[in-house]
Amino acid sequence: MTRSAVAIILRAEVRAWRNRIAGNAARTAGIAVLGGLSALVIGGSLFALAFFAGRDLVQLILAPVTAAEIFIARSLFAMSANTLAAAIFLTFVAGLGAGSGASPLYYVTALVLLAVLVLMVTALQLIFMAGVLKLVPARVARDVAIAVASVTGAGLYLLWNLTLRQSFAPRHTPDISGVLMVFQRIEWVPSAWPGHALSAVIDGSVAAALAWTGVTLLLAGAMVVVAAALYERTLLAGLGLLGGPPARWRRRTRVPVRASRAGAASPVLAIVRKDWIAYRRDIRRLSRFLPAVIFLVAYAFILVRPTRGLTDLFWNDVFVVTFVSLFMAMMFATPSIPGERRGIQLLRLAPISPWTLIRAKVLFTVAPAVALTTLITLAMSLVGGIGPLRTAEIVLLAIWLGVGCVCIGVSAGAIDPRFDSTDDRRSVGVVGTFAAMGGELAFGLLSVGSFAVVFVALQVATGAGFAWLPESPLIEGLLLFVAVALALGGVALVGFMLWTAVSRLRSFEGSITTAA
Amino acid sequence: MSVPPVAFAVEARNLVKQYGVMPAVSGVSFQVERGEIFGFLGANGAGKTTTLRMLCGLVRPTAGSALIDGFDVFLQPLQAKARLGYLDEEPFVHPHLTGREFLDYIADLYRMPRGPARQQRTERLLGLFELAGRDGELIGAYSHGMKQKIGLASLLIREPSVLLLDEPTNGLDPRSARLVKDLLEELAARGTTVLLSTHILEVAQALCRRIAIIDHGRLVATGTMDELRAQAGAAHATLEDLFLSLTAGPESTELIERLLSTRK
Repeated sequence: MTRSAVAIILRAEVRAWRNRIAGNAARTAGIAVLGGLSALVIGGSLFALAFFAGRDLVQLILAPVTAAEIFIARSLFAMSANTLAAAIFLTFVAGLGAGSGASPLYYVTALVLLAVLVLMVTALQLIFMAGVLKLVPARVARDVAIAVASVTGAGLYLLWNLTLRQSFAPRHTPDISGVLMVFQRIEWVPSAWPGHALSAVIDGSVAAALAWTGVTLLLAGAMVVVAAALYERTLLAGLGLLGGPPARWRRRTRVPVRASRAGAASPVLAIVRKDWIAYRRDIRRLSRFLPAVIFLVAYAFILVRPTRGLTDLFWNDVFVVTFVSLFMAMMFATPSIPGERRGIQLLRLAPISPWTLIRAKVLFTVAPAVALTTLITLAMSLVGGIGPLRTAEIVLLAIWLGVGCVCIGVSAGAIDPRFDSTDDRRSVGVVGTFAAMGGELAFGLLSVGSFAVVFVALQVATGAGFAWLPESPLIEGLLLFVAVALALGGVALVGFMLWTAVSRLRSFEGSITTAA
Repeated sequence: MSVPPVAFAVEARNLVKQYGVMPAVSGVSFQVERGEIFGFLGANGAGKTTTLRMLCGLVRPTAGSALIDGFDVFLQPLQAKARLGYLDEEPFVHPHLTGREFLDYIADLYRMPRGPARQQRTERLLGLFELAGRDGELIGAYSHGMKQKIGLASLLIREPSVLLLDEPTNGLDPRSARLVKDLLEELAARGTTVLLSTHILEVAQALCRRIAIIDHGRLVATGTMDELRAQAGAAHATLEDLFLSLTAGPESTELIERLLSTRK
């Protein structure tokens, strides 16, 4: 029996390698791989929190409870997120079954195998975490796990997007066929085995179905045993109760002492320097920042791809520059003041005005925002073959939008900060978020409007004409007046936001005592 | 730092703080003389921390005013804060900076000129608090006591004329706690004013010339040990006896008896 099961699997593996598996089987395997990977990604952060974080774990360890019991309890909790991810893919599996006219046995097997897949994924996450804990302290390990999950998640989402058909035609159902094809090519991985079992059920091959289900169960059992053993060994290290950070990590984080140069001290530069140092060392922030930048660059790339068939990429680039500026401001500038968390207490105690703090935050966030926007602008111009003069115009617009949106973003964060939030994404309240979105959108419209009117005025002035507008000095003057008025409107909006932020910071008296 | 010609280094004038209808502090007034170590005692939730936070400008009073070296903390905040050093009972120190970087950051925030003098002061403080060998490590990896020490060093690096300290020996080992006590006495002798809030009554009795006791948001007593004894009518009472008699509550023996009787 064992020999024949192995033979069947080997035959199937060989077939898979040679891409000879029938369409359904490959599709099911792809779904299983994708489901497993999604569970890994979606459950990753919750998993790390479930197994190794939380003060209640300390109480559990001190209580007369065995590590195995903690493992079972925490596994059930950690599996909840993985189950959610798997449940999403259950719909695809069910759809496949219905399309293939599968028997009721298929659905029962699908439920069992998805549960096993969730168990395997949870065990794999734990094994991965145990490995991470060997290298880094618990506090950082959690952030590393979240960072890996975030970047993988972003990668998976991008893969999905990039494999979509490039068309703006209405699509009524989620299209994962492209990404499935990618995963069909790696159907030999263990997370594809439940897929092979389900394919065998559809094909009516009982022996193959039993064999694949059997090896899946065996593998899941082995993984759970290994994970439980590793958890017992790493539980205390994971909580940081014993041992402390490994020596290797300590050496790496030790920073060489540098003699400070003589001169006047500047609070603005001190805040900028502190932010720069802290941002680079904060893995948690980087894990949120990197996927966002990946999305940004990828979307910018998708939007300017020449295959979209646009004849004039100039206005397309203007749109992308506006989008990138707004995105960067929302991501970087808006949480910059609330991101101080309890550090705001040091700033409020220091003899500095709210205006000094706002200047420092604008200075810190404007440089990367403008730099990234300009880089994307230049890249787009190169891809689109836009001339140097038009490129310079868009770069100027990028700088204008970058500075304005950053000022609005920083101000909005100061208007409604949540200093006790440990997550930048939740560190600005509803009022602040709407102020940021509304303010930046209004500034974007005013700026692009002004830019467009200047563009039209230049067209009229050079005799090229624009639609029904006649060529006359009066029209040119009028257009320039409108352009300046719109630009001044943008400046006034920025000024108003900054003034509101300063007033709000001066009178702020919220909860700043509980944040980490 | 130049000291203005005013009589009191710290002045609380009828401070009131109300959270909704809940009064946290009700009309607290006291003055602390220059170079004095002034004890500020109270039970948990009595209003000590709220009063200290009003004095340093972190919490805006519902009524009343707080003056540091004659400057109103809310009307002349920059002048008042430049003279003030406040240490929270759980001081915030940036976990992603090293000890040295944190001291540099604070010194820059307070506009202390960069150069050899500042560098020497940093070295002296790191040495004093036994942090010299750990100054290149991230503060996030420091123990609670080390964070307390770097918090204290960040106050002292800029030589404020007034120190408001909320449980400064919290989490310190006996040796470091003794160091802090000696340091406070030395600073006071050199003219620094210290307002000290602590639960360790022996420390308060040993260090403070005058003591204020707050209970349920109201000052119930202020004065030297002899004055407090006179108020309580107990000539040889310790500060612990005075504190317990001035802050009403069930006697501890009665509470213990009640707890033990429920276990029977």
